[in-house]
Amino acid sequence: MGENKNIYEPVKCEVLEVIEESPTIKTVVLKPEKVFTFLAGQFASLTVPGVGEAPFTPSSSPFDKEKLEFTVMKVGKVTEKIHQLKKGDIVGVRGPYGRPYPLDMFKGKEILLVGGGVGLAPIRALFLALVETAKDYKKIVFCCGAKTPQDYIYKNQLFGDWQKLCDKIPLSFRITVDKKDKNWKYMEGVVTVTLDNLDMDIKNSFVAVCGPPIMMKFTTLKLLEIGFTPEQIYLSMERKMYCGVGHCRHCLIGDLFVCKDGPVFTYAEIKDKPNIWV
Amino acid sequence: MKTLFIRKKDWVNFLKGKLQKGRIYAPFEFEDKLFYSSVSQENLEEIVYNKVRPVEPIKIFLYPFKERVVPEIDEVEEIIVMGATSCDVRGIEILDKVFMEGDYVDLNYKKRREKLFIISFDCQQPYPTCLCEKFGIHPYPEKNFDINISKLGEGFIVEIGSEKGEEFVGNDQRFFEVTEEQKKKRDVLRKEVSKKVQENNKEFDFENINERMKELYETEIWRKPPEVENCVACGSCTANCPTCVCFLLEDTGAENLFKKMKVWDSCLYPGYAKMASGATPRPTLYERYGNRFLCKYSYMVSNFGILGCTGCGRCITGCIGKIDKRKVITEVLKQKV
Repeated sequence: MGENKNIYEPVKCEVLEVIEESPTIKTVVLKPEKVFTFLAGQFASLTVPGVGEAPFTPSSSPFDKEKLEFTVMKVGKVTEKIHQLKKGDIVGVRGPYGRPYPLDMFKGKEILLVGGGVGLAPIRALFLALVETAKDYKKIVFCCGAKTPQDYIYKNQLFGDWQKLCDKIPLSFRITVDKKDKNWKYMEGVVTVTLDNLDMDIKNSFVAVCGPPIMMKFTTLKLLEIGFTPEQIYLSMERKMYCGVGHCRHCLIGDLFVCKDGPVFTYAEIKDKPNIWV
Repeated sequence: MKTLFIRKKDWVNFLKGKLQKGRIYAPFEFEDKLFYSSVSQENLEEIVYNKVRPVEPIKIFLYPFKERVVPEIDEVEEIIVMGATSCDVRGIEILDKVFMEGDYVDLNYKKRREKLFIISFDCQQPYPTCLCEKFGIHPYPEKNFDINISKLGEGFIVEIGSEKGEEFVGNDQRFFEVTEEQKKKRDVLRKEVSKKVQENNKEFDFENINERMKELYETEIWRKPPEVENCVACGSCTANCPTCVCFLLEDTGAENLFKKMKVWDSCLYPGYAKMASGATPRPTLYERYGNRFLCKYSYMVSNFGILGCTGCGRCITGCIGKIDKRKVITEVLKQKV
């Protein structure tokens, strides 16, 4: 890290496109003014100038050096402004921060991805990274859930392009909604139903989970029940965050910084810390 | 490094010379308490030496309550701060670890730190709430200063602690080699003050605090920690603390302008860890109250290898609920796991 570089100075980015994913979720596509690289699982802080800053894990492929995407649910002041962004607007991005998924360790293994709601965003970056070097992994099983079919993000990819990949690489999807409509042809039930009767060699697998806290909790419990160990389960954690670099202390889970030691943790690392499922 | 002696009159004149070259801050008495204030030719002789820690920790010179971080600040002027006691220079050691010695360097902090010349003081009249000795910190600085001053009779023993300190004194003829006799007298006085702090705290148990706090994670005691009913979450303990570093970032510029401010925050405030969704890992006061103890005596040790408390006692004297954390800790540590 350059000692005389201002850690809070963002890289300016031009908004190329704003994609409406669901009634409450949009993806902003950005073109950074200089190269901005990250590894799957790392996050960045997105500034809307004059408004505020919030941390997000990019949802685009870490291999895409041209643009950077963030998929954002409207929940607060900053995300509301992000939703109002238009093509040509300028925002700031600083990072990347934190510890990525250990892809080297994943090599030669079967990988289970579990994403719920907007939690599919970080999983998408990981998925795109895995797909890029698909021959390194024995199998990829992608489980996802959302409340209703309308709430699904990345609809065109999930129900289109990505499924076509299944013919070329050892990839399969297990897709569910809490409540289906008449056109739905996949599963119904909360995301844990996708974990029933998994065709996987659990001893030689790793799993990455991201979603709302309650979903992560019950997914983790289910994974333990079907034989995964706490060391095999990678959770992408969220906390209030300002600095992103281990100074401001807002994101501590016990003595662990989500920004620096995470945001990706194994369940083994955090299971004994206070109040993890928030 | 050298230890010297200077007569008080000579020191005042020496300081007058330094005042021509830049700003000096030192403790002055106001209503029985010491506060940092700017030194001038007029008030130079009213500086209070070697009494006790000032109300504000020396942190305020390195890490102001509110400062701009984007765009970055200009270069800062060199300042001399006199009067930090042992507890406060220990505080700087911790701030350095947080802001300068990790993977990411806070530029504002670094700029100010490099331009800060520290003249620390032995503490000779500790408050009854001072507890440095509980952590093996003595009421006289042993490191983390440029020069340290110990009042002795009509003069000062001046200990040089850094190269900057050596330059500061230079070959000024008003400084003499300290005699063994003078050193001995200083050490006797130091021992007396140490003993006094130990005496004042003998009823409190802090033994192995880090290890014992860790064992008490998630135990019943934190469901209703001692004296939590007297805490009103005002944040005085965190603002007065020489080692509390928590801050928030705020974008305050006009729209389309990248301007970011860094402002102190307090983990006692309900909104501290609240996320946009409204969820927070510490929704109740007892959790936030307990968090501060866990942070100081356990989390900081695992983060930076150093206890987050220097024993200055400001969180005791500044508490409007009159909570004496020494009693709280003693009570908490009585719990058996």
